[in-house]
Amino acid sequence: MADLSDIQNETIQFEIEEYLERAEEIERNVELFAQARPLMQDIAAALIEGEHETVDQLSKQALDENIEALEIMDDGLIAGMGIVGIKFRENFIFVPEVLSCARAMKAGMAHIEPILSEAGVEKAGTVVMGTVKGDLHDIGKNLCIMMLRGSGFDVIDLGVDTSEDDFIEAVEENSAPLMGMSALLTTTMPNMGKTIEAFIDADLRDDVQIMVGGAPVTQEFADDMGADGYGKDALACVSLAKELVNA
Amino acid sequence: MKKITQEDYQKRLDRITEVFSGMVEHADEQSQFRCPYRNRHDECTAKIRCRNQVALAKKELPLTNGVRFMCNHDGSFDYRDAWDSDPRSVEKARKKVDQIKKKADARRKND
Repeated sequence: MADLSDIQNETIQFEIEEYLERAEEIERNVELFAQARPLMQDIAAALIEGEHETVDQLSKQALDENIEALEIMDDGLIAGMGIVGIKFRENFIFVPEVLSCARAMKAGMAHIEPILSEAGVEKAGTVVMGTVKGDLHDIGKNLCIMMLRGSGFDVIDLGVDTSEDDFIEAVEENSAPLMGMSALLTTTMPNMGKTIEAFIDADLRDDVQIMVGGAPVTQEFADDMGADGYGKDALACVSLAKELVNA
Repeated sequence: MKKITQEDYQKRLDRITEVFSGMVEHADEQSQFRCPYRNRHDECTAKIRCRNQVALAKKELPLTNGVRFMCNHDGSFDYRDAWDSDPRSVEKARKKVDQIKKKADARRKND
């Protein structure tokens, strides 16, 4: 049986000692990290701290050293994210920190994706996501993006305050079959409808499935606007994306 | 390097989805008592303005990752109410969408 001192990375040692309380989780993580190479431990530690540049650099280094992509995912990225999940569940960290860690994971995955593609592994699809014009809320959209990427979708994130033209340009440029719009204000919600109309004007409406979401949005509102689907939260967003892309 | 199969990849995605799903569920629970934009240092990470933001003196800036405000709220109410909308505002938004659609249809007929 492995011991905490078998883990070389001090950050990982500290994280397990300080934040993990359940015996089975401590045991599982000690076993996992004790058998992981020091470089994988370093990747996990950087991910837990949300240091996307370090994760980017170390993941590249690992591949340059001929470490298997799956090992980087298992012992570095996913292992680190497992600790993040526990810390979040126990309220040691909050949504902004989780999103920083997800960004770090994306930085690592960016090096692995070409290898997956070379191996003929198929992605779930490409989704363009953005918060509509006039709206600067982004937490819900970012949680959706985190879930979509975790489910194998390529996501083009247009950020907040996204104009109709920006949505159209991104869908065209990436040949995205799917697009998601978010709004948190009743005053910006109509801009979802405006964007859908802009897709009709650009003769692109049949080329893309449009999902909408956000606190004030409802299925009825989505139907009124002519959207293809409505997701009430990030979990529903992923189910809907899978459903639409497979339709 | 070992060739990665679709099955290998799917196994990892399933594990990531399991971790992320737990996070999303917890985020919803947590929003009952804590604004989702408030980080572990009680800094506000939102791009929007909020009455609970407290600007700090220039010498104290920037906070984590360029954040500029602290959150001053005591976290004693259900934040989800803040995201709920007045039905009258929703109705107004619906009417606006109707207008947008009608205008667009009329314009297309004239084109």
